[in-house]
Amino acid sequence: MAVAVAHDPSSGSGQAHGVDRLYAETRELRINGFLLFMVSDLVLFSSFIFAYLYLRQTGQGWPPPGISRLDVAFAAFNSVVLFGSGATMHFALENWKHGNFNKYAGWMLATIVLGAGFLSGQGYEYWTLYTKFHASWSGAGIFGASFFTLTGMHGFHVFMGICYLTILFLQTVGGVYTKQKYAGLTMGTLYWHFVDIIWVFLFSMFYLWQ
Amino acid sequence: MNQLQFEHIITIIGAIVVFLAASVALKNDWKTPGLENQVFKLMLFLLAVGSVLAFLAAMGVIGSWKGSA
Repeated sequence: MAVAVAHDPSSGSGQAHGVDRLYAETRELRINGFLLFMVSDLVLFSSFIFAYLYLRQTGQGWPPPGISRLDVAFAAFNSVVLFGSGATMHFALENWKHGNFNKYAGWMLATIVLGAGFLSGQGYEYWTLYTKFHASWSGAGIFGASFFTLTGMHGFHVFMGICYLTILFLQTVGGVYTKQKYAGLTMGTLYWHFVDIIWVFLFSMFYLWQ
Repeated sequence: MNQLQFEHIITIIGAIVVFLAASVALKNDWKTPGLENQVFKLMLFLLAVGSVLAFLAAMGVIGSWKGSA
């Protein structure tokens, strides 16, 4: 496949006509395929979320005896960090569409940094729960298993998202995408928004629901 | 300023900024056609909802800001 000139998202006019036609013909299919992947991921999260809700409604009192309330203050702070990364990712894509590479790069790097910040915050929270309250996946009953499974699975998605966005960023620096051809960036943005909105539900369930 | 106050201020400011950014992005994308853009709009809406929840948590309206672990 032809490669556009690096750092210039508006370039790409020199590409073979066949490549552009192939791109135009397959773009919708690829985007729709990615949306289906996200639906399958949503089913995965939904299964765990409904299992948690069932256990919460039918099991022992919530939170179980001996388990302290989670730190809402820090969780809200960490949530804003992740939600902020969703906004910066959206700005990155918009700037790419308009051919502003420098602004795109700034917003993209901000997204990666904020994502890493969220993960660090989650690691700090896990560490605090473990050292202060001896809470772990297997040591805090149903609550611990649900909490660490769901937030851990989400954290893994964030980690994969950071890797994904880093690869996308390197690809844009290398000239893989152009102003007209950026389906990969669109999919990356969809993925990152997906990770954001999953956290909206997890944040509400674990921290805000009394 | 202790850690709790710092988290409080940053959360409130951050939530307002994210809400405004998501709202403006949603407004700008409102008339864009295509399946992917409909998904983007839904996600931006939920992002705005999330920022409102974080804001309300920081204001002590929902959740329990003080007295937590």
